[in-house]
Amino acid sequence: MAEVNSELIEKLKQLIITRLKLADMTPEMIETDAPLFGEGLGLDSIDALELVLGLEKEFGVVIPDAEVGKKVFQSVRTMAQYVLDQKEGF
Amino acid sequence: MGRTAFCFPGQLQERPTLKEDHPLRRDPHFKEWVERASHQTPFDLPDFSYKGEETGFNLKLQISTYLLSMVHFYRLRSEGWVPDVITEHSMGIYAALAASEAITFEEGLWITESIGRILEREGASSGGAMASIVGLPSGEVEKISQDLNGFHLSIANYNGSMHFVLSGEEEGIEKAMDLALSRKAISATRLTFNIALHSPSLSVLSEGIDDLLKDIEVRSPRYPVLNHWTVRPLRREEIKGFLSQEIGQPVYWDRCVEKLIQEGISQFIEVGHGATLTKLIRWINREVEVFSAGDRFKEGAVR
Repeated sequence: MAEVNSELIEKLKQLIITRLKLADMTPEMIETDAPLFGEGLGLDSIDALELVLGLEKEFGVVIPDAEVGKKVFQSVRTMAQYVLDQKEGF
Repeated sequence: MGRTAFCFPGQLQERPTLKEDHPLRRDPHFKEWVERASHQTPFDLPDFSYKGEETGFNLKLQISTYLLSMVHFYRLRSEGWVPDVITEHSMGIYAALAASEAITFEEGLWITESIGRILEREGASSGGAMASIVGLPSGEVEKISQDLNGFHLSIANYNGSMHFVLSGEEEGIEKAMDLALSRKAISATRLTFNIALHSPSLSVLSEGIDDLLKDIEVRSPRYPVLNHWTVRPLRREEIKGFLSQEIGQPVYWDRCVEKLIQEGISQFIEVGHGATLTKLIRWINREVEVFSAGDRFKEGAVR
């Protein structure tokens, strides 16, 4: 399994900021292991769809359904791991 | 300079957090309007409770939504913001009409509470449920309702190309959520409602609402309020009919936003506690400026 690196983490944080138009935030303000939904960054299902689209457009990876989405969108780190796993599969 | 739409959101889906240290609690507009409301209703917004009365969660959410929208509206106005047009989602109509001065603050509060009680009684006698389906196009969501043809399910909100709300019987809604997830929806979430709001089954309540409104004298709106069925401003004489019929009709939010952008609106301000409409507008059009007055206030960034 490929290792998640800081460059990918940074890119994903930037993707979250851009897709969700979080103009007042910087990547440093997003904790890599904090929950994205609920108590953490406080995202919801409308944000989830934006991130699904963002991952597809920017990284070419697909979230096929809600079950996978729940696992992937736990934190920035789980998003990064999913991106790597999918890329390895090609 | 671009033109601005004030957008009044529908019912909050969770209790608003207004703890002692919440900045809104120190705001003079909050204090003034919550105090003014207390002369008319026993509902205590900071405490989220009815004094001496057990009422349903949804009624409390409806009044909270109304009061918070009005507080944010008066705050925005005092800071110099003026809407070129007002638009609303679902039960946001009551605050939208009060903000447009078609009705007074007190009348809006009374209508919110009275219709809320009608809906509460309907929920207790007939039941019903609603669910938000995200990530499927309208054709797929319509097909889900058709495939569950033993139930009376219908689309209650057209919120965007991949955002819909279904209304109907509780069992049917549960089955629709399972079906939506099996057909690759990104989420299917039950809303707090215990009625099938914005579905034809609620048209039976129109007469009662007409009766409720008969002594209210509606004035011409100071700011145009968009009718989401016709996407034209509501005329004074249409307003009571709109109020009595809208609970049995779908909300066409996407149509409203698209029309306003075509008409040159480039700035949308969500006048309420949350950011649901802000996010829906972001999905409909990423180019326009949009923000939630409630969010900006929390961040201390309201100009």
